[in-house]
Amino acid sequence: MAGAAIAAAGGSAPGDRVEWRLAAPLGLTYLVFFAAPFAILLGISFYADAEQTRLGLDSWTKFYGDAFYLKVIFDTLKLGLFAVAATTLLAYPLALVFRASGPKLQRLLIFIILMPLLTSVVIRTFAWIVILAREGVVNQTLMGLGLTAAPLNLLQTELGLVIALTQIEMPLMLLPLLTIMNQMDQNLVDASRALGASKWRTFFKVVLPLTLPGWIAGATLVFASATTAFISQSVIGGARLVYLPALIWQQSTVVYNWPFAAVASLTLLFTVLAGIMALGWLGRFAKTN
Amino acid sequence: MTTISRRDLLAGAGALGLAASLPLSARAAGGLTAAIYPGTWEEAYRGVVAPALKKSANVDIAFDSLFAVDQVAKVRAARGVPPFDCFVLDPGPAASAMQAGLFEPIDAKKLTNAAKVPDGLITSHGVTCNAQVVGIAYNPKKFPTPPKGWADLFKSPYVERLGLTGFQTTFGTVSIIEMAKAFGGSIENMEPIFAELKKAVAKAAAVAAPAAMPGLYQQGQIDIMYTNTNTVAILKGRGVDIEFVKPDSGAITFQTTLHIVKGADNVENAYKYMDTAISAEIQAALQQQPYNMIPINKDVKLVDTLDIKSVDELTKMVTHDWTKINPVRAAWIERFNKEITK
Amino acid sequence: MQRSTLSDVTYNWIVGLLAGLGILILVAPVIIVIATSFTTSQTLRFPPPDLSLRWYRELFDPVRSAPIHTAAWNSVWVAFVATVVGAVLSVLAALAITRVSRPSARLLEASFLSPLILPSLSYGLAALMFFSVLGIRPSLNLLIAGHLVVIAPFVFRTTLASLTQLDPALLEASANLGASRFYGFRRITLPLIAPGIAAGCFLAFISSMDNVPVSLFLSNARTGMLPIRMWGMMESTLDVRIAAIAGVLILATLLLMIVMDRLTGLTKRMSA
Repeated sequence: MAGAAIAAAGGSAPGDRVEWRLAAPLGLTYLVFFAAPFAILLGISFYADAEQTRLGLDSWTKFYGDAFYLKVIFDTLKLGLFAVAATTLLAYPLALVFRASGPKLQRLLIFIILMPLLTSVVIRTFAWIVILAREGVVNQTLMGLGLTAAPLNLLQTELGLVIALTQIEMPLMLLPLLTIMNQMDQNLVDASRALGASKWRTFFKVVLPLTLPGWIAGATLVFASATTAFISQSVIGGARLVYLPALIWQQSTVVYNWPFAAVASLTLLFTVLAGIMALGWLGRFAKTN
Repeated sequence: MTTISRRDLLAGAGALGLAASLPLSARAAGGLTAAIYPGTWEEAYRGVVAPALKKSANVDIAFDSLFAVDQVAKVRAARGVPPFDCFVLDPGPAASAMQAGLFEPIDAKKLTNAAKVPDGLITSHGVTCNAQVVGIAYNPKKFPTPPKGWADLFKSPYVERLGLTGFQTTFGTVSIIEMAKAFGGSIENMEPIFAELKKAVAKAAAVAAPAAMPGLYQQGQIDIMYTNTNTVAILKGRGVDIEFVKPDSGAITFQTTLHIVKGADNVENAYKYMDTAISAEIQAALQQQPYNMIPINKDVKLVDTLDIKSVDELTKMVTHDWTKINPVRAAWIERFNKEITK
Repeated sequence: MQRSTLSDVTYNWIVGLLAGLGILILVAPVIIVIATSFTTSQTLRFPPPDLSLRWYRELFDPVRSAPIHTAAWNSVWVAFVATVVGAVLSVLAALAITRVSRPSARLLEASFLSPLILPSLSYGLAALMFFSVLGIRPSLNLLIAGHLVVIAPFVFRTTLASLTQLDPALLEASANLGASRFYGFRRITLPLIAPGIAAGCFLAFISSMDNVPVSLFLSNARTGMLPIRMWGMMESTLDVRIAAIAGVLILATLLLMIVMDRLTGLTKRMSA
């Protein structure tokens, strides 16, 4: 195993070429079922008016010429970043505990990690209302402990929304992270400790770089999912916080301004994709260093 | 399950692209596909209207559960290939659909029950099947004295317990218009209410999607909201502490209407469906718990759980002209977004 | 054994505390849902005034909950087919671009991830427009295709992550020994990336079960889907059965995990 690894490091990277034949089935499926609708969306965005009678860039200029909509883009991306940061902060410790646990505890932990996925988004939002509301679990606990006199406003705030998204998105971060964490070579960790490195140093110098691909996969899914989580955003976040998905919903189903909705959708797609590609770039950058 | 046939099984598991390109018609001969609101409406129409239609006309009906705005979006997107035969809509979406030319004209002569419905409720393109009455709902345990009018909602102690919704629903839009009037505004001049909303947003207990309101109310996050009598009666019937109060300027009423989708396959069956829905027998059944729908058939004697006494009372309530509202609604929504966002 | 330094002690504490907080956040809402599902009250309300199995009985009532059962089977079927087909296509696609750093591979990666990010609502509407132009009506098969597109990125991304961890030398070695590529894949690559594929499949399946917008626009009257039905129940009546559905799903997963655990345990013992 070790010998093979050395041999591989010495040799050239195998197959630095996309194997198109393997990518073709998914590619063709996407061509029919995704690229065509996507092209329609792109086409619609170049209508100037809601009735789709005139061509023009009006929808684009209206969206990008308005500071409010730019702020909505910014807020949406910020929400995604907060969700990634919060899930990272909690997922790594959980993954470390998972790795250190025996098989029985591991199975229990997996079950706990899967739990949020098993409660549908519909009922999950209700649970978060119960927890975060004025007379909710958190406020009653805090007031019972005498930590606060008046109930805190948690529901319909960005903080409340990030907390709720953290629960919902955590499995998306943890599942890829755990699979990578389990593939990690324990010898490297032991070696680092044996050489006298502190646990902190071992984590940042050995564990973190080795598990980075898992984190990137997780962060990608969390970022994509948090920025597009329409139901959680609108029910837990409330109407005081406007994010792109709510805007797209309003424009496409309430006022039927499909060109404008298309612009907002494509904006969401391209900005989030840019964010994800930045993550991937970060990963390769970290690897080469 | 009958909905998953063996053909579906084979097709689904087989070559996917091919399978999905087979135009599988969902319509049985002698059938009808009608859109219906999810929730109570679907239960009511499945439980009451469908069996009656089967019995009287031998028509099998399938329901597609969709909210009004989604119905219109779906038919617009599927132009020329209508996904269902009948709409059920509130005035806002109905006006948009009318403008977009999504309705077949209605021939009232084909409806045997047409004469039993008050004048004006069957139009050239729609048949009213239910009336909605909108006012203020409050928690009697928290507020022994309810707010009297729309303006009170913006005063202490009510505003701190208020759940606000915007212009995305019909009941939300008409309520805010009435609030505007209470502060000296009108459909043409919404400035006064936007000024009040801006102040209220910081104080209100919640500003949320309409779908979230019952949950927020039940968990005590809000104790006052504006909604229709139907919602209040349903929640009250399930033991929730909730009461309806008519604002001093009068309750608002609007109609829920059935329409035939342009290019629908089963037009004749659609007439039979609409005729059944407005018949006295069905209308009388739909007003009972747990459905609580306000009847529009003059032969129906109203039950006392509905917060209104007679069909005639509806004619004295506040109504709105949606052909005036729809052109300015997009701008209101945009302004609501901008002014209430932090 | 090393001496515990102050820094190592703080490390243990911080990791422990954060992991504890993580578990709390993961579990708390689920406990509330489960507790609510056993309520005696007529609506979703926490805390429940008293406990009973009434809503589970109601949920399993073949008459009163018939539309829920139909919708549940539809959703499970759509999610199952979409996940299985999507997984095969995604794993192949992930194999195609793994360890390729060329821009073409990155571009392909980005396009394979796009359906995850394009709002489902816009995708659902645009897909309906496209297929209507072709004269195709919404159906169960169209629904499966729509779901497949939206959920495949989960499997694609998790598989890609697993592949990066794979030692390329292993494959090389097997190729040098004259093994066919498929044999190499089946005996070496697949077992190593299986956990990644499984994780992706699970995410994909659940995300399909939870998808409202695509179901809204690509389903027809005979293919009612569970999440749409649950929305109606939540909004109009605060129906407790939606909490009971979560309870059933959790119990089913727990049983499935125990069964699978027994099975793998059995095979391990047998091979040992």
